[in-house]
Amino acid sequence: MRRASSKKASSNSTTSTNSSAMDLFRSATGKAATKELERIDQLFYSYSNESSGMIDPEGIEYLCSDLEVEHTDVRILMLAWKMQAEKQGYFTLEEWRKGLKALHADTIVKLKKALPELENEVRRPSNYVEFYSYAFRYCLTEEKQKSIDIESICELLELVLGSQFPQQVDLFVQYLKTQVDYKVINMDQWMGFYRFCNEISFPDFNNYDEELAWPLILDNFVDWVKSKQS
Amino acid sequence: SVTPLSMSQPSNNNRKRSSTSSSSSYTSPPSSTTTTGGPHFSLMKKAKSQAVSCSFDNKNGFQLDNNNNNNNINSASQDPSSMIVDPTENDAVRASSAGGFTANLGRKKATPPQPAKKLVIKLLKAKPTLPTNFEENTWAVLKTAISSIFLKQPDPCDLEKLYQAVNDLCLHKMGGSLYQRIEKECESHISSALQSLVGQSEDLVVFLSLVHKTWQDFCDQMLMIRGIALYLDRTYVKQTPSVRSLWDMGLQLFRKHLSLASEVEHKTVFGLLKMIESERLGEAVDRTLLSHLLKMFTALGIYPESFEKPFLECTSEFYAAEGVKYMQHSDVPDYLKHVEVRLHEEHDRCLLYLDASTRKPLVATAERQLLELHITAILDKAWILLIFIFKFHNINTIGFSQPLTSGFTMLMDGNRTQDLRRMYTLFSRVNALESLRHALSSYIRKTGQGIVTDEEKDKDMVYSLLEFKASLDKIWEESFSKNDVFCNTIKEAFEHLINLRQNRPAELIAKFLDEKLRAGNKGTSEEELEGTLDKVLVLFRFIQGKDVFEAFYKKDLAKRLLLGKSASIDAEKSMISKLKTECGSQFTNKLEGMFKDIELSKEINESFKQSSQARTKLPSGIEMSVHVLTTGYWPTYPPMDVRLPHELNVYQDIFKEFYLSKYSGRRLMWQNSLGHCVLKAEFAKGKKELAVSLFQVNAIQLKETVEENASTTERVFQDRQYQVDAAIVRIMKTRKMLSHTLLITELFQQLKFPIKPVDLKKRIESLIDREYLERDKSNPQIYNYLA
Repeated sequence: MRRASSKKASSNSTTSTNSSAMDLFRSATGKAATKELERIDQLFYSYSNESSGMIDPEGIEYLCSDLEVEHTDVRILMLAWKMQAEKQGYFTLEEWRKGLKALHADTIVKLKKALPELENEVRRPSNYVEFYSYAFRYCLTEEKQKSIDIESICELLELVLGSQFPQQVDLFVQYLKTQVDYKVINMDQWMGFYRFCNEISFPDFNNYDEELAWPLILDNFVDWVKSKQS
Repeated sequence: SVTPLSMSQPSNNNRKRSSTSSSSSYTSPPSSTTTTGGPHFSLMKKAKSQAVSCSFDNKNGFQLDNNNNNNNINSASQDPSSMIVDPTENDAVRASSAGGFTANLGRKKATPPQPAKKLVIKLLKAKPTLPTNFEENTWAVLKTAISSIFLKQPDPCDLEKLYQAVNDLCLHKMGGSLYQRIEKECESHISSALQSLVGQSEDLVVFLSLVHKTWQDFCDQMLMIRGIALYLDRTYVKQTPSVRSLWDMGLQLFRKHLSLASEVEHKTVFGLLKMIESERLGEAVDRTLLSHLLKMFTALGIYPESFEKPFLECTSEFYAAEGVKYMQHSDVPDYLKHVEVRLHEEHDRCLLYLDASTRKPLVATAERQLLELHITAILDKAWILLIFIFKFHNINTIGFSQPLTSGFTMLMDGNRTQDLRRMYTLFSRVNALESLRHALSSYIRKTGQGIVTDEEKDKDMVYSLLEFKASLDKIWEESFSKNDVFCNTIKEAFEHLINLRQNRPAELIAKFLDEKLRAGNKGTSEEELEGTLDKVLVLFRFIQGKDVFEAFYKKDLAKRLLLGKSASIDAEKSMISKLKTECGSQFTNKLEGMFKDIELSKEINESFKQSSQARTKLPSGIEMSVHVLTTGYWPTYPPMDVRLPHELNVYQDIFKEFYLSKYSGRRLMWQNSLGHCVLKAEFAKGKKELAVSLFQVNAIQLKETVEENASTTERVFQDRQYQVDAAIVRIMKTRKMLSHTLLITELFQQLKFPIKPVDLKKRIESLIDREYLERDKSNPQIYNYLA
């Protein structure tokens, strides 16, 4: 359902910066493109918050229901990635434009149709690392925040790696929830885990060598698993 | 033993002799008797003149028939001249020639010199022929003689005739058949002699004596026969390579028939083994009999197979059983003594009756059964020994839970080191030193662990360790003959045990030294103190986390210096120089700095007293002394907010004024927590005597607390962390990029304290987090330095 109150008929935005950006868009592309861009903007405004000029969490919820996707679905995260959205729960106009233009989607229907292909694109190994790392950064909500609490990490892991490496994620989440040494996870550890899933044989961990540069948390994880197994 | 027979070498003797008796000369034909024949006869004459007198042991029953035409031989025959002869020897038989020559000389007739005659020799037309049945008849004579010898009966024929008979046959090329006949005759007698032993005597010793007798007789008889047939031995036998000497032939026959009468051989061996076993069990046995019979075996060439082999097997079984039995019933010292005794016995056995070649395998067998197979058991039991020694020194042996056997009550230290020495010696004989060494290592580690990890005994730890080390050193010297490898073992084990518990031993050693260096140690001479310091230094050497020691030592030294509690500055300096030698000057720089500060402070105080500030501004009756400490040398003291009385602040300022006037550009910071104020209030006089020197305030910091110690340790760890971080950054800055494993290696080389790879990883990750480093994008094993 669209937010009726925020529906704007014209493409004239309230801020001047937007209009100059608009000009740029128009001048840079052709007429058809201009049309597309206009529709993209319109779509944006149908979800955005009037005062902030951004799509906020509430807007995103609407968007999700229109897309018929759960807002906790990983595809929304992928969409955010496509947009290179900086702040979790918010899309700026720039980001929206970037994302939808790349997807060639200027209507909800097209956007919805673009989702499966987006997923494929993201899941390509070359892109997935980037997406994975983006996912972490996306959750850093505070200004100087560098790490994420265990609870959230567990959810994020499920979301992002749950389908690809279900068993590893399962075990690691178990470990994270039972251990007491770590209260937060940082980027280095986060990335380490992805490498771990890709390189280390499971469930025996035969090729794992703790004398190499694996993050310490993974050394501890492997020890924990091994002692559980014996 | 075999009675010897003496024989002559007539040809040699006669050749050398320049004799007027032509009958004894070989070259010239005898002039006193006419020759009617050719050379044969003269030779026969020679043989005749070679009549030799012999004397025989009467027990053989052989007697010379003396009714020949040689009266002189008679007299000679009663002359019991005989010499020792080795029956295996073929040559070099010497004569008792006296009889022979007197005989020969007796033949001489005194002849006056005659004018030269012309001799005409006419050759005979026909060769002289042998009488008929010459061979048969000649042999018959010999056969009878041989038979008599074997049957121990008197023979009608005299020796001369017998020699003649042999000669005759040999000369007529009948040596071969003579040999065969002799062999056959001997064989029949030898075999019957041996067969007669079958079924003889149940009693083994009696049986063995019979065997011995048979052998003895055989030797005597064979010698005699060989004596008679000497010419055969010298000529035919020598010329025929495939034929044995007569003596050897006899031996071979004896051997053959002994093995045919197999029951006899086996019974003999069995008897010998039984005798030896009895001797081992403590009975007295006839060693002479053993010796002779074993010599028989050797002579027959069957010693290794027939005797030695079963003997060694028997020995092995005997000592196997004995080893097991004794190990169960005796304690280790007694067992080892017993082993030593047994090995001596076996050695002696080889000297007394066994062949020398048996010694090596025999001793090896005994060693194997008594020692090698029991090494583990001996070592297990041996812990008792070591415990005894240490208990004797009241060394804490907690942690060692094996039960002590009885017999522990009365122990002289000396006994036990001797027992250990015996063990060491015996073990080295069977190459078991490695087991002993290994067991020693385990023992030291286990015992040491008990000393080091028992928290309740912390206050005695250093003392116990010193005692423990001293005992080990003594044992090393006295029992383990200063073996280098053992020395290293003790060192390694000590190093291991002392580092089992991080930090506490280092702390306790520093405290121990503090006690020793503190004044009030009455009765410790300078030498004793030096000795103790050296011993403590040995322990210190084993510690891996030396920086912990340094922190505590520094703290305690500071207290001693500031409170004036050092027993002797010389001892303090001696300790510093020992530490310097051990760890390098970097370790001791600061400590030395502390000493400098103290001395400098004395000078400063002197000049302060003389200074204008002191004289003018400081009230009289105030004695103030100040220690000026250079920061960096001294331990850092936590800042404490102590509010001094106003007057004291004033005095401090006076001093400060004085000091800064002398040394510009410096900053003085009062460590009030170290201030010590002695207030002597004599109320009657109302005087106040203030001595303000920087000591620890008793009221505020009474005794050092556990917290203080913990914080000292904490600070050391903190400091270590900084050091690691600094090292990582330093290395990465230089290398720009480095693999994880190489970085770890570098760090281990550079860091002087023990640290685990886990801790290093922690610091690395912390530095990644703080963005000093990053993992390389393409290779996660590599770190990049972030400028």
